[in-house]
Amino acid sequence: MSHEGTLPVSKQNMTIFGGVKSQGRLNRKKTAVMAFGVLFMAGCARDAPQDTWQPKGENASNINTLQWIVFPLAGVVGVAVFALIGFVLWRYRDKGQAIPHQSHGNPAVEITLTIIPALILSVVGVFTFRGIFQLAQTNDTQMVINVTGQQWWWEYDYPAQVVNGVEISQPIITAGQLVIPTDTKVLLRETSRDVIHSYWIPALNGKKDAVPGRINLLRLQAYKPGIYAGQCTEFCGLSHANMRMEAVALEPADFATWVANQQRNAQQPAQASLAQEGEGVFLNQCIRCHQVNGLKKADGTAAIAAPDENVYSGAAPNLTHLMSRNTFAGAAFDLVTSDCRKNIWTASPEQFGAAYLEGVSPKCLNQTNLRRWLRNAPEMKPMYADPTKLASSDGKYRGMPNLNLSESDIDKLVAYLSTLK
Amino acid sequence: MITTGSKYCFGIAGLGSLGALIYMILINPSDVGVLALLGIAIAMSIVGGVTQFTGDFDADTVSDAITVSASAPANSMWPLLLALGGVLLLVGMTTNPIIFLLGIVVIVAAGIEWALQSWAERASEDSAFNRFVRERALTSLELPLLAGGAVAVIAIAFSRIMLAVSPENGAIIFIVVATAVLAVGFLIAVKTNLKKTSITAVCVLGAVALLVSGGIAGQSGNREQLVSAAAEEHYSHKDCEETASKYFDKNSEKTVSMKSGILATIRVKDGKLSAQLIGLDAPVATVTVARSNQATILFRNLDDEEHRLVANLGVKKVGETGVVEKIVDCTQMTGKNQTQALLLKINKPSASSGPYTFTVPGLEGQEIALVVP
Repeated sequence: MSHEGTLPVSKQNMTIFGGVKSQGRLNRKKTAVMAFGVLFMAGCARDAPQDTWQPKGENASNINTLQWIVFPLAGVVGVAVFALIGFVLWRYRDKGQAIPHQSHGNPAVEITLTIIPALILSVVGVFTFRGIFQLAQTNDTQMVINVTGQQWWWEYDYPAQVVNGVEISQPIITAGQLVIPTDTKVLLRETSRDVIHSYWIPALNGKKDAVPGRINLLRLQAYKPGIYAGQCTEFCGLSHANMRMEAVALEPADFATWVANQQRNAQQPAQASLAQEGEGVFLNQCIRCHQVNGLKKADGTAAIAAPDENVYSGAAPNLTHLMSRNTFAGAAFDLVTSDCRKNIWTASPEQFGAAYLEGVSPKCLNQTNLRRWLRNAPEMKPMYADPTKLASSDGKYRGMPNLNLSESDIDKLVAYLSTLK
Repeated sequence: MITTGSKYCFGIAGLGSLGALIYMILINPSDVGVLALLGIAIAMSIVGGVTQFTGDFDADTVSDAITVSASAPANSMWPLLLALGGVLLLVGMTTNPIIFLLGIVVIVAAGIEWALQSWAERASEDSAFNRFVRERALTSLELPLLAGGAVAVIAIAFSRIMLAVSPENGAIIFIVVATAVLAVGFLIAVKTNLKKTSITAVCVLGAVALLVSGGIAGQSGNREQLVSAAAEEHYSHKDCEETASKYFDKNSEKTVSMKSGILATIRVKDGKLSAQLIGLDAPVATVTVARSNQATILFRNLDDEEHRLVANLGVKKVGETGVVEKIVDCTQMTGKNQTQALLLKINKPSASSGPYTFTVPGLEGQEIALVVP
């Protein structure tokens, strides 16, 4: 006997349209599963050099250990709280019912809800404090490097010191790529020349702000040779997103080779070569901001750059060994072609040192990037380089301006810069 | 039915969408501003949807649970002052930063006062009780702020007077004023039957006299002695010799409170000069200072004799005369177990006119190399 005729209208609809409703519910489930799947798969990216879950040094490992404790705990709490909020919102939504009885205070619930978070925070606190003290340790430092941030690149200067038996007799100054020996506790002393920046190489340690007038300490240590990418993580103006950095870890023997090379002055280009003509262009144009150690003027005196007169931060990258690094313009652009870059980045730990120390060979030089930069730098990387809009910086540039070089001058400059290894 | 709260959220979402559309047409379709406005629209749509679904912030429902005072709000000057603050803010934006800041202060003060007054008026139907509630909440805020302002005005006015008159006259004025204040205070304490109006009159007279005198003194400027000292750079000129200087070493600093920004520490102990970098235990013979950036060097004297640290920063030519002048910077004379900071900003590398060194006058033959790459 059928009861269809006695069912309420809503029930009838359910029966009649039950199939359609089930199909809709199924679609919603599919969509939810797919959305979750997309989010889940996003965590499986292979080429993610700034993944905080893949530590490559002691300090980053300490942070990783801490986040493996805190994240699951916080995740469980977060999911439980959001689920409860969602349930209450849905279950007790306004359906026209009367306002329920309003009560105040429930000591048992309040005490329970105080004790449980306190216990969770106590557990988290113990591991957090342990992590903080581990990261703050500096009394066993083996090497010191001064790191100075400015819009929008990082300068590294290595004070005179002895590192693992390698003597840095004269300070080394470089930019973009920080070179460190492996398995060495390196202390970075960070500051800034203009605004607040933040130094972050996720594979080696957490973030640390570089603040004008202050020196903040950050220690790095890399287990294996390789390049570890990072970026500025404190908004610092127009090209903040293009303020990158890379730490290059070399075996101690390779590091000694690198130090020896960095302490040499730039070689003079061959007589009557295109590079020598490029040196002339450099002395006319680039020396206003960029220093090349050992470069001499026509009268034989040392050519000294004057970035303090032209750039707001008072500094520009030292180019003495430009071709010993793989990147330029705040590590934002490759100085090597993509094939050569891939060879260096994917080199085995045993082969990495030799591959990196080879520097930028003529075959590997990314002429496209370098020429574009010389042709019109602000077009590649946004900078405050319009001479008519520099009132707020006393007429000084923030970044590199367009020098309006001729193609002939660019050819000469590329030839000259290629000699700076 | 769309609830009141949802209407509000949907309204903002609509305005955000409209604003984004206008922005795209009139300014730049790919600007961050469009994203911001669309972000607001989307966020408010979501909040509005949730509010509508849950029936939250429905005025009809909420009103059932709230007892609102039936009494009408009292007259208030705070809306007027709030509007004045807005005017000052706008005028200050285009004219003077001080007016802008004054506008912010007026807006904050008037806003707090108005909000608390409104809140107090809803406390009960008894206006006297409501006034009591308001005063109880605000007096603890108003009195310290007013007292702080009064102290600041007195300090500024008095300092202008003391800077304008000679040190001798300043001492006399100080004694006379202090005696007068003491006498009046004593009189008020002893004569308990003094009329309140008399005390108020004396206080007002004193305040007016102080303000007028301070204003006149501020207009007339500092006394001649201070003006000439500033012109002769008594305050900025550094005497970096072995012996103490009359001006530069007067009231020398004895404490340093900027340890977090220190690049290196240079010490004198048993007549020996040494330097240390943060993070390195071993002493160093060279200190590297980044070019064109402020660097703080700490000088610690552990000897019995007074010493100063001198940074020798090469030479410079004086104008077109061909005369070559040494560039030096130094700390004040530093006593036993005392520490001073030397702040350096060096724009030229040591290769330009170096070598640069740190020395201590009196300790001949000893130096720390200072390298500016």
